Amino acid sequence: MPDYKKYQCGVCGHIYDEAEGDPDTGIAPGTLWEDIPDDWRCPECGAEKSEYDLMG
Amino acid sequence: MQIVIIGSGVAGVSFAEKYRALSADDEITLVTREHDGYYSRPLLSRGFSKADIEQSIILKPFDKLRENNINVLCGVEVTDIDRGDKTVAINGSCQEKELQYDKLILALGSSAFIPPPFRPFEKLFFCLNSLVDLKALRKFRQGFLSQNQRPEWAIIGGGLIGCEVASDLAVAGDKVTLFHAMDRLMERQLVAEDSALLLKVLQDSGVKVLLNQAVQEFIKEEDKVCVRTEVTTEFDGLLVACGFKPRTELAELAGLKIGRGIKVNQYLQTSDESIFALGDVAELPNNKLYAFILPIRNQALWLAEFLAEQKQDPWTPPVFTTKAKVHGFEAVHPRKIS
Repeated sequence: MPDYKKYQCGVCGHIYDEAEGDPDTGIAPGTLWEDIPDDWRCPECGAEKSEYDLMG
Repeated sequence: MQIVIIGSGVAGVSFAEKYRALSADDEITLVTREHDGYYSRPLLSRGFSKADIEQSIILKPFDKLRENNINVLCGVEVTDIDRGDKTVAINGSCQEKELQYDKLILALGSSAFIPPPFRPFEKLFFCLNSLVDLKALRKFRQGFLSQNQRPEWAIIGGGLIGCEVASDLAVAGDKVTLFHAMDRLMERQLVAEDSALLLKVLQDSGVKVLLNQAVQEFIKEEDKVCVRTEVTTEFDGLLVACGFKPRTELAELAGLKIGRGIKVNQYLQTSDESIFALGDVAELPNNKLYAFILPIRNQALWLAEFLAEQKQDPWTPPVFTTKAKVHGFEAVHPRKIS
């Protein structure tokens, strides 16, 4: 099983957990960050992927 | 050009960063009463279930903005706007006492709204409107936890914040009673079916939900605080979550047109052509306030582009849905707002 990571939006704090995905915006559970389309936006605040940081 | 921004929430910070990205040379000064950096307000509602929240809620220390050539004056209050001289008077531990502006951006946000009947009792309850408030609540709660006790909470207000905090405290293991004046929860954001679902989710997590409540007063009883409706019930801690009030005081003092918020046109411009408003404080021509992260950030980015002369068309609100951060709740019919 892959080592799922978490990414946090630097604008609003929303957390994307690779294990959970974001089904509301069409991202299935288990979707790795790099596999999320570039035009995906933070579901909370609309920020772009580039605003997210990998959580340590 | 000298840009002065008042407020370090998502509006002020998003504007500052975007404007800096578009203009390498203009002077940008951001003034804020906050000390702790730029933090996530949505995460205040998760202030009890996450152990490291007081650190993890900080998204950007102010030094990060300074590294980006944004001058941040923190722990500072703005006391006056002199529209004739185009200066703001400031009060704090910084050297400056006055700042000159070409354009002034008012992004002060809102304070907790306290219904008039509760105002005589302000010493008896908490609000949750800032990181300072969260720290006070957590410290109060820790007092009980360190004695192996669980506080019993009353939350007044079953709107977005009331429901989110009730959920978070319950998940963290505390006993919570939620008092709401209306006959269903979050009646402004949810359709009836989702209010019913929300009620069930909260009850399943252990929250006692009381609807159609007319809270008359609060009474201090030794180390407890009582809520009086038709009956009187005692609690350890009381949180009032009855809405927000845009911070219009400074604008009003300066003679700008205000309504519920600071009145702006479709270009987010106040009744003074050099002063703009963003976020919770900005009241658009249709009397609408956009007090949610997505449209606020959208406003801030638009205004930066507009002032950098990269956009000419007025701001139009994006369509968005609000998500309640209640543990285990997902609205079946989320309402689109625009």
